Amino acid sequence: MAVDGTAVAAGAEAAGRERADRLRRLGREVFRQASAVAISLFGLLAITFFIGRLLPLDPVVAVIGDDAPQSTYDMVYRELGLDRPLWEQFAIYVGKVLQGDFGAAINTSNRVADDLLRVFPATVELATVSIVIGVGLGIPFGVIAAVHRGTLIDHVVRVVGLIGYSAPNFWLGLMGLVVFYAMLGWVGGPGRVSVFYIDMIEPRTGFLLIDSLLANEPEVFWSAVEHIVLPASILGYSSTAYIARMTRSFMLEQLSQEYVITARVKGLSRARVVWRHAFPNIMVQLVTVIALAYAFLLEGAVLTETVFAWPGFGRYLTLGLLAGDMNVVLACTLIVGLTFIVLNLISDILYRLLDPRTR
Amino acid sequence: MRAGRTGLVAAAAAMALAWGGAESEARTPRDALVMAWNIDAILTMDPAQIGEVVTDEIVNNVCDPLIFLDHDDPAKMVPGLAERWEVSDDGLTYTFHLRRGLKHPSGNPVTAQDAEWSIRRVLHLGFGNAAQYTQWGLSKEKAEEQIRAIDDHTLQITVPQPWPPSLFLYVLTGRQGFVLDRKAIEPHVATRTDGSPDYGNAWLKTNLACVGPYRLTRWTASDTVILERNPNYWGGDVPMRRVIIRHVVESAAQRLQLERGDIDVARDLNAEDLAAVDASPTLRLNGALRHQLYYIGANMDHPILGKDDVRMAMRYLVDYQGLERTVMRYSGKAWNSFAPQGAFGALPPERGLAFRLDIEKAREHLARAGHAEGFTVKLMHGTAFPSPDIAQHFQANAAKVGIKVEIEQMASGQLFSRMRDRNFELAFLAWSPGYPDADANAMRHVFNPDNRPEAKQTMFLSWRASFDRPWFNEAVQRARLIRDEEERRQLYYEIQERFMREGPFMYNFQQIRQLAMRNEVRELKHHAFKVFYTTARK
Repeated sequence: MAVDGTAVAAGAEAAGRERADRLRRLGREVFRQASAVAISLFGLLAITFFIGRLLPLDPVVAVIGDDAPQSTYDMVYRELGLDRPLWEQFAIYVGKVLQGDFGAAINTSNRVADDLLRVFPATVELATVSIVIGVGLGIPFGVIAAVHRGTLIDHVVRVVGLIGYSAPNFWLGLMGLVVFYAMLGWVGGPGRVSVFYIDMIEPRTGFLLIDSLLANEPEVFWSAVEHIVLPASILGYSSTAYIARMTRSFMLEQLSQEYVITARVKGLSRARVVWRHAFPNIMVQLVTVIALAYAFLLEGAVLTETVFAWPGFGRYLTLGLLAGDMNVVLACTLIVGLTFIVLNLISDILYRLLDPRTR
Repeated sequence: MRAGRTGLVAAAAAMALAWGGAESEARTPRDALVMAWNIDAILTMDPAQIGEVVTDEIVNNVCDPLIFLDHDDPAKMVPGLAERWEVSDDGLTYTFHLRRGLKHPSGNPVTAQDAEWSIRRVLHLGFGNAAQYTQWGLSKEKAEEQIRAIDDHTLQITVPQPWPPSLFLYVLTGRQGFVLDRKAIEPHVATRTDGSPDYGNAWLKTNLACVGPYRLTRWTASDTVILERNPNYWGGDVPMRRVIIRHVVESAAQRLQLERGDIDVARDLNAEDLAAVDASPTLRLNGALRHQLYYIGANMDHPILGKDDVRMAMRYLVDYQGLERTVMRYSGKAWNSFAPQGAFGALPPERGLAFRLDIEKAREHLARAGHAEGFTVKLMHGTAFPSPDIAQHFQANAAKVGIKVEIEQMASGQLFSRMRDRNFELAFLAWSPGYPDADANAMRHVFNPDNRPEAKQTMFLSWRASFDRPWFNEAVQRARLIRDEEERRQLYYEIQERFMREGPFMYNFQQIRQLAMRNEVRELKHHAFKVFYTTARK
């Protein structure tokens, strides 16, 4: 049978139109998402800025000290732009941010952007190891507790989880230091690395675990591991508790469904039913839970960072806030906002991969 | 909550001790001194701008001033970068002869022009440190004629009045007396918003260029400070090759590190941890009385607090001796006068600590002021030890005489700006004078150049508290011109004892700097004004 040339051309044209349509839709979707992100970030900035300026904190005193004459005070006040109307200060700030300039930080005398390149990786490193611990322990514990509902195992998981959920990290951190650092000597003390290696590694990624390997310094790497284990375990413990609790309740819901009973009746082993049939169905919900737990860790844990002398994001933000340093507060707010947005996007993508119905 | 937390930590620490944590060997490098210290306060390294103790101590080990304070006696001045100096007969001109052959780390020679520029920039920049010069009549307007390099090695300073030399020369022993490397800094001079040069202020925030025993090789905010020995130091042998300061905030964490041997010196231990160090066989405490005074300041504009008898009553509401045995055991000595112990002109101990807890006396004074029924007053204070402890102690005793004290705790930035705005009733604060002489605090706490609100004399504590009495103004200015030491001392005694009855400030303690260290650390000398890393050995 001869093929009609026009029909082929028409078909190709239709396909092309469809592709163009899809691209246009995708483009619109991306644009819509991007403007939503931009508007949220702008709103976040504006609210933070105006609330921050209402706080009774004086950045000038932080700069010049308690001892300077009024003339110096007035000059620094003008240098920081505080004599201008609030909306103008905000406009200037936003204008600079759009050019990639986040200003200087009072507490560190550095550019805020440089500081963030130092403190945020420290927190990301800690948060990532913590969430790995949280997921690695939390999911199995949650599943086991659900499967053995009402038994001793379930109670043990619940009590251990409750402690992790309610004990202050500050206290857990100090107890951890006393036991595992001071008494047993299994882990390193406060700080990111031992004093011997303190300035041996030039930061490339800012993640000490990675930088030390890149620099081929296994001793520094092990020292960094020794130092991150305890704070990451403490933070990971709270995440474990949260993830385990949520996993348990999601799992219980699935286990009471008819398909699970059917599968068991068909003679499948319990383990196979739990892990191959029920578990994939809770993965979508778990992604949301894990993303939230991770975002929470990425905001920085001020008290844990304080106990472990961890030069991270949480303490940086807190000190900036206490000094009334809006450059620091605003930049940090942006980072937190962006973190949530990025994690949301990642969860969205994971949904699509995990849940066939959304494809 | 706080007590509960501290209790738990103490119990945990006791457990660690019982296990034998304190027995471990030192694990720090043999040629490095490792300290744990809260270094959040460091904002800048510029000696002209620094205003707090942490950075002051660090830069004093990096830069040498024209005149040194003796390692053992802070009242004794010895030649520094200036090997000798003389004062003209009229007492107005000081001539300093700089050591020859000294070089900055950049290789540039150390010159009198450097010294001239370094002193002038303190005046031009006008931060708090400029007051150390302006109070002697030096000014940025006249800096070019008052501070002059005569040749490469001779510096001349001309003051408008014949101050006692022992008084004026102190100014050159501190950070405002450093000699910076002008040639190295000048390429980095930027312009400020008002068009004036910044004299390298922006660059010096994170750099230092001067001659001294150590070089600053790293400052990472809220993380680490590293000093490296200057191999060509002119001032003799410096045993420790490096000084590493690690940022650790928690007292308990510092103590565990000290016991484990991961640090040599802990700087921020609280009362419990200091007691534990004191009791440990492998660790020890080494204290020095600083000149920092803690006080409760009253606003004299307040209708009730402005009455002398009310403030007198309040002086009887602190158990100085009791606190000295408990909360302040390691960190303070009870003291009631503005001239700290150890300063020239300070009262003898029995007169300087003139008050004790006496509820009856407080009641009598309140009745005399017409407030036998008591009143309500706000007391603001910061978060750092011992502010909350002493504020609460005062509150409890005040309640016994009917004074209801409402406590407001706040960040130090807020505290200072409230004081500068005269927007307070009572405030618990601390103050460190710049030199060991009664004159230092007399000029800031007692003397008030202009009490009008619009005068904004915010650097004078007397102005902040609206304290303005002619006799005091006259006496303080007269005292600093008296050349006969005994006569000057007697006048300070009189000012202090009158100020105890009339002044707005109720002094309670003088701070002790405690260095908690491992036994291996020896000869780490310190006194009221300096900590000398240069003498330390292990």
